[in-house]
Amino acid sequence: MFSLAFRSVRQRPGRFVGTLLAAFLGATVTMTFNSMHDTAGAAGVDDRSAESLTLAAGVVGGYGTLLVFFAIASTLTVNVRQREEEMGLLRRTGATPAQIKRMIVGESVLVALAATVLAIGPAMLGGRALFDMFQDTDQVAADVDFAFGPIALSAGFGITLIAAAGAAYLAVRRATRTAAGAAGAGEPRGRLRNVGGGLALVTGLGGAATTFVFESTDPALMAPAAYGAILLSIGLAAFSPALLRMLLRRVGRPIGALGAGGYLAVLNTRQRAAELAGVLMPLVLFIGVATATVYMQAVESDAIEASGLAKSVDDKNLETMNLIVVGVIVGFACIMLINSLYAATSYRSREFGGQRLAGATPRQVLGMVVTEGLLLTVTGVVLGTAAGLAGLVPFNMVRTDTVWPEQSPLVWLGIVATAAAATMVTGWATARRALRTPAVVAVTKAA
Amino acid sequence: MTMFGRGRGSEPARNAEALRLVGVTKVYGTDAENSVTALDNVSLSLPAGSFTAVMGPSGSGKSTLLQCAAGLDRPDSGAVVVDGEEMTGGTEAQLAKFRRRRVGFVFQQYNLLPTLTVAQNTTLPLKLAGRRVDREKARTILAQVGLADRLGHRPDELSGGQRQRVAIARALVTEPSVIFADEPTGALDTRSARDVLHLLQEAVRFHGRTVVMVTHDPVAASYADSVLFLADGRLAGYMNAPTVDSVAERLAHLGDDVPAGV
Ligand SMILES: Nc1ncnc2c1ncn2[C@@H]1O[C@H](COP(=O)(O)OP(=O)(O)O)[C@@H](O)[C@H]1O
Ligand SMILES: [Mg+2]
Repeated sequence: MFSLAFRSVRQRPGRFVGTLLAAFLGATVTMTFNSMHDTAGAAGVDDRSAESLTLAAGVVGGYGTLLVFFAIASTLTVNVRQREEEMGLLRRTGATPAQIKRMIVGESVLVALAATVLAIGPAMLGGRALFDMFQDTDQVAADVDFAFGPIALSAGFGITLIAAAGAAYLAVRRATRTAAGAAGAGEPRGRLRNVGGGLALVTGLGGAATTFVFESTDPALMAPAAYGAILLSIGLAAFSPALLRMLLRRVGRPIGALGAGGYLAVLNTRQRAAELAGVLMPLVLFIGVATATVYMQAVESDAIEASGLAKSVDDKNLETMNLIVVGVIVGFACIMLINSLYAATSYRSREFGGQRLAGATPRQVLGMVVTEGLLLTVTGVVLGTAAGLAGLVPFNMVRTDTVWPEQSPLVWLGIVATAAAATMVTGWATARRALRTPAVVAVTKAA
Repeated sequence: MTMFGRGRGSEPARNAEALRLVGVTKVYGTDAENSVTALDNVSLSLPAGSFTAVMGPSGSGKSTLLQCAAGLDRPDSGAVVVDGEEMTGGTEAQLAKFRRRRVGFVFQQYNLLPTLTVAQNTTLPLKLAGRRVDREKARTILAQVGLADRLGHRPDELSGGQRQRVAIARALVTEPSVIFADEPTGALDTRSARDVLHLLQEAVRFHGRTVVMVTHDPVAASYADSVLFLADGRLAGYMNAPTVDSVAERLAHLGDDVPAGV
């Protein structure tokens, strides 16, 4: 089963970079936090230390696994889509769909395996740093020793490999299905997205509303608001094509009048709005989660300060945890964003070739890509900010009795600027690379 | 049997010579062992309003000739003159601007943009060139190629033959001096191929364009006014008023006609 996959990975390692990176980050995060379980489980650890460690290990538990899966799935979907030509060729030369599935799944498992092995070192360092922080703040007794053992390793390998195999299986199944019954394949997926998006919106709003049930000083106050923001980000992203189309109805004409690049950007975005939801998902998640968590932490810190009390050890730990959570989500979202945008742009090499043959200069093509990036960014910022505020405002109301948080919007601007830069730079750099292929070659070669 | 000056109407005066190549050479690959001389010192001149087929065995340099002549690729040496103007541009942008007014393309694989409608695909070259988009004229041209009722369709809703007709309409809309076609019927069934060849003939007869068409099919070549034969990157023959049989006959003996070293 692995021989074909092994050869394929060895020959073209470049196209697995996205998957490798996602799996590496996923395995690092998983093992870092699960080593707290190893540490807590060692002989002679007192109950209080064990509890702190177990709690920390659970912080990225559920949604961390989900993120690992999403990130790997997003890179694999891209990988498989870029190789539809190759898969078609294999099938015409007699490979059965089952053989192709085995090859793709085998490749992903190999890549995930390599990524997890690479992640062991960084995860040991990360785990130790986390552990030291607990000891420094006296959450964990000084005589406890850091351990990195079977739980961290089995969770790291288990979650990463299962996520890779599952994601590859789903991606290749979708690709072979689409190829078999080309037309109409998009329909059920759209419905699935609507149902999933609707569910995420309802539970997200529910989560945000639950905030009002809590006391203003409850240490768990932040949790429902944060989860609300995450779910709302996902839900809003599912419906982002509608907003994108609405935006185009407003600004389509003026942008189209700016020049051929703008004209093409508007037509492309309108036509591809549904596909672009895949790019918008990580963008909205990035902005929504970063905005909600960073500002909630700021509100919390200011509230503690206003109450005249010093930050307790628990407060400090909560702050650190929050920042870790933001870091993890934002890191994953960034990989997904760059990867999906890279893919969405690089597989358009043929389309760019067609435009150049019709008389477009490289500048006009780049102008089109940048305008498309702007339209995406604006949509992502609107939706992400809405999701972030939906979590932040209830939290602020309960914590401070004012509706609107009084923190400076500078941090939000920073978040938006980062998202905009990631979107534009990825699109621009990928398009520039695609433009290096001569137009005539680009239109005859598969992407 | 070249034809001058038909159907030009109000267009600016065209040069009597639509295309001239002088000593054009193109070598692929840099090191001595692997380099391929795709074009070897090719010179030719095509009058305005002519329909020329370029034929030759696979690998004889037909596509390279077309790409160098059309400004899609730059020859290693030699000059290309389109409609009296020498191609000198160094950057891709300069070449693109040179091509906009002077040449149109029709390729085997259509190269239409999937997100644009038939009408939008047709007017795209005008948009890109920053020229006024005359929708009425585009509609007229699309009606001439038999697509009056398909203006709002997208390429994936059209047959291969219909897509190629959109490509022809797009090549006509900028009123270029020369239309280059590389195996335009290569992916089409016999009937669609015949329609496309008739349209290319009409581009010459009624629109006054000059058409250069690469093909390996003697039937397609028989629609042209004349045929240029290519072998090993060199011109290897010329035929006026080609017929299917005469072209097939000449192709079969093409290797014999090229003594080594000439
Ligand atoms: N991009 C390229 N790189 C290297 N060699 C090429 C390239 N394009 C064409 N060639 C070579 O140049 C020769 C002529 O090719 P081409 O013009 O495509 O021939 P034709 O269209 O007549 O089949 C062939 O030997 C081909 O292998
Ligand atoms: Mg060819």
